[in-house]
This record gives sequence, C-alpha cells and structure tokens, in this order.
Amino acid sequence: MPKDRSSSSDYTGPLRRLLLAVLILILAGTFLLWRIDSPRVERFRAQITDRIVPNLDWAMAPVTGTINLLRDFQSYQRLAEQNRELRSELRQMQAWKEAALQLEQENARLLDLNNVRLDPRLTFITGVVLADSGSPFRQSVLLNVGARDGLVDGWATMDGIGLVGRISGVAKNTSRVILLTDASSRIPATIQPSGQRAIVAGDNSAAPPIDFIENPDLVRPGDRVISSGDGGVFPAGLLIGQVAADPGGRLRVRLAADYERLEFLRVLRHYGTETVSDSARVISNGLPPIAPAVSQ
Amino acid sequence: MNDLSATRLWFMRAGFLFLALLILFFHLLPLETVPRSWAGPDLILAFAFAWSLRRPEYVPPLALALIFLLFDLLLQRPPGLLALLALVGCENLKSRGRSLRDASFAAEWFTVAMITTLVLVGNRVILALALVPLPRLSLALSELAATILVYPMVVGVTHWVMGVRRTAPGDLDALGHRV
Repeated sequence: MPKDRSSSSDYTGPLRRLLLAVLILILAGTFLLWRIDSPRVERFRAQITDRIVPNLDWAMAPVTGTINLLRDFQSYQRLAEQNRELRSELRQMQAWKEAALQLEQENARLLDLNNVRLDPRLTFITGVVLADSGSPFRQSVLLNVGARDGLVDGWATMDGIGLVGRISGVAKNTSRVILLTDASSRIPATIQPSGQRAIVAGDNSAAPPIDFIENPDLVRPGDRVISSGDGGVFPAGLLIGQVAADPGGRLRVRLAADYERLEFLRVLRHYGTETVSDSARVISNGLPPIAPAVSQ
Repeated sequence: MNDLSATRLWFMRAGFLFLALLILFFHLLPLETVPRSWAGPDLILAFAFAWSLRRPEYVPPLALALIFLLFDLLLQRPPGLLALLALVGCENLKSRGRSLRDASFAAEWFTVAMITTLVLVGNRVILALALVPLPRLSLALSELAATILVYPMVVGVTHWVMGVRRTAPGDLDALGHRV
C-alpha cells in the first residue's frame, strides 16, 4: 500500500527530522563548548569516566588476566633462547651489583658526613591501573586513586624504576595519567653527566624525542635523562631513561619504566618547591640566620 | 503479531546498546600501554552503518547519538565531533537503504566505504580548522582502511549471528505496516 506508507512517513518525517536537528545541534554545541572551555568539559569527562569505569572493574580484571596469560603462553615458546640471554645478563649484573653495593656504602657515608636531609615530604600513593586510553591515538591510563586520596593535577607517577607520566584529570575515585609517550606530554629534563637542560616531548612513539637541548654536542647516547624540576611542577631527580639516537640522528629517550606492563603506579605527593623570593628580608629580619644553624 | 514485533523491536534496540558497551569494554581493557604504529578498525562505526542499512528502526538517532558521545568521552577524543559526523553518516545511509535493498553487496560496500571516508576525513579537516593537534596521518589512514576492510565481516556477523536482515518485500515493519 504505497499510499499508506507515504502518509505514515508524512506523519513521522517532520518529527524525526526535528529530533535529528536537535541532536546535531547538541553534538555540535558539545564540540564547540569543548573547544572554547576545555577544562570544564574535561572535568565532565573525568566525572563520567569515574562513574562508569570502576563499575566495570569486576569484569575487566579477569578478562585482562586471561589475555595476559595467553600472551605469556606464547612467550614460553622462546624459553630456551631467553634463558641463555638471561644467564649472560645475570653474569654482568653480578659485577654491577658488587659495584652498586660499594657505591651505596660510600654514598651513605658521604651523606652522613654532610648531614644531608633528603626531602621528607616526597611520599607516594600506589594505585592500580584500571583502564588504558582505549584508542591508539592517545597514550594514557586510568588509576583507581583520585581526589578522595588527595591527588592533585600535575603530580608525577612512576613505576618501580622510572617516570611514567603525570596526573591530568582527577575525579573522585579515579585519575588519568598522561604517559610520557602521549603527544601532549612535555617534561623538563636534565641530561647527566653533562647537565644539559632539555624537554622530553612525547610524539605517540615508544621513545619520545628530546627537544631544546642547549648544546647537542655534549650529549651522547647512553647518557641518563632525569627530571629537572624546572617550573616547579615536578620533583627533580626522577629517572626518565637513557639517551638513544634514532636512525635519523635525532636524540630520543629510551624510557626506564616498563611500559609493556603498567599494573601498579606510584603517585608522588609533591607540594612544590619553596623558592627564596625575598632575600633582603631574610638577611635583615631580626636574628642573624647563621646562629640557629651553629647551635644545632 | 503487533505485540510480538514491538517486543522484538525493543529487544534488538537493547541488543545494539549491549553490543556497543561490549566493544567499549574491550577498548578500555588495560592491554595497550605501548604506542602502536597502526590503528585497528572503528568497529562501532562499522556496526552502526551495517544496522542502519538493514534495520533503521533498531538504531534510532537518539541511541546512536548517545552511544557515539559516550565513545568520544571515554576514549579521550574531542567530544561531540566524531559523534556528530557518524550520526549524519548513519542517517544518510538510512535514507539510501531503500535504494540499496535490491543492489548487490559490492554496491553497498562501496557506498559504506565512501561514507566512512567522508566521516573520518571530515573529522580530521574540522579538527585542523579548529586548530586541535592532529594525530599522525599513518594512524588515521590505517584506521580508515581497517574499518572499510572489516565491513564485510561486520555484515556477516550482523546477518548470520545477530539475525539483523534486510526487510524483504511483503514483510511487516515494527508498526505492523507492510514495507
């Protein structure tokens, strides 16, 4: 019945078109609002994530575990080969361990001699990785600690060894960590032993390039890259990785943290380094500054 | 009959929502923390296109908009833009559904490939116009190619596993009318 059909589409057509137009306007408005006032929409995004993802955890944990188990099973096939590699590596490591122990003792003695007090406020919270960014375009992970645990935007996160990223986006129960490999990540760094300042700028590849080196001639592959603490956002002295040169001659960082398996991350509590801003008053204000130090 | 088809209609709508959540769930599993040089297919886009061509009444615009917006929010994309383009693409395909009903699968694949290209390229162009930092071109191209290549498989799953088929002439639609 063609007549019947056309009359029914006459009835539903305008309504349907109106609904579609409203939906399109709302979506376009969302995008414009995000472009204009990004922090507010990002907060909204963090809250939505906070509502949804922790509820999926009961299902995600077993599925992730199973898939990782299967992957491990594949790697068992290369077991003999790996074993040989590991044994030779172990021999080298024993020599290093000896050196490290001696250095540790020496370091402790020197620290004791100098009466050095390391920053006692640098404590950490450990969180579990709930989810990743879900798309290959962004590099981030979601942690199960959030504003409830006192987290603040900008804090550094590490795995056991090296820097992993920084907190960006805190909701009540969850927080997002932008990894060093993300295209929007920029971390001020120092390259040891030359002491050159540089920026480690993520570009969505496994080894982020090093930008803005003052004098690239002084930097050699194998040098250590540590965070410099410039800008007061990050604590200084966290290990990022080693310098490596890619085939194009560009300097990159081979990250120390194990990005293959990010399961537990440490979030370092950092309340900013206090700077001496008004030196004149420090000197002229009442007591001479030397006196208390001497009396100790 | 009318009652039965209404139940089936809502059942299939809920089914699409469940499918979307399942895809989202597998996206969010913390398995990929190392940057990749290629991107997989945008499965939800392919499924939405396949369903829109076959049974437009199972994927109403409101559900599509909500699902795409949720994907944008949870997958760290600029919220709203890809959702908007995907919704327009689906509605465009719905309007072509009647003419494509009698055509071969190759014609359908070609149309879907065209729409997918328009959606993903349009997304990139608008992002560039809005001065948002763009992801690498190789990633975007591999996503486009993978989405187009995976479409026949998505159609197969839709047709045989989920039982979402084109209405044949003489079938009744959800409201009991002859289509």
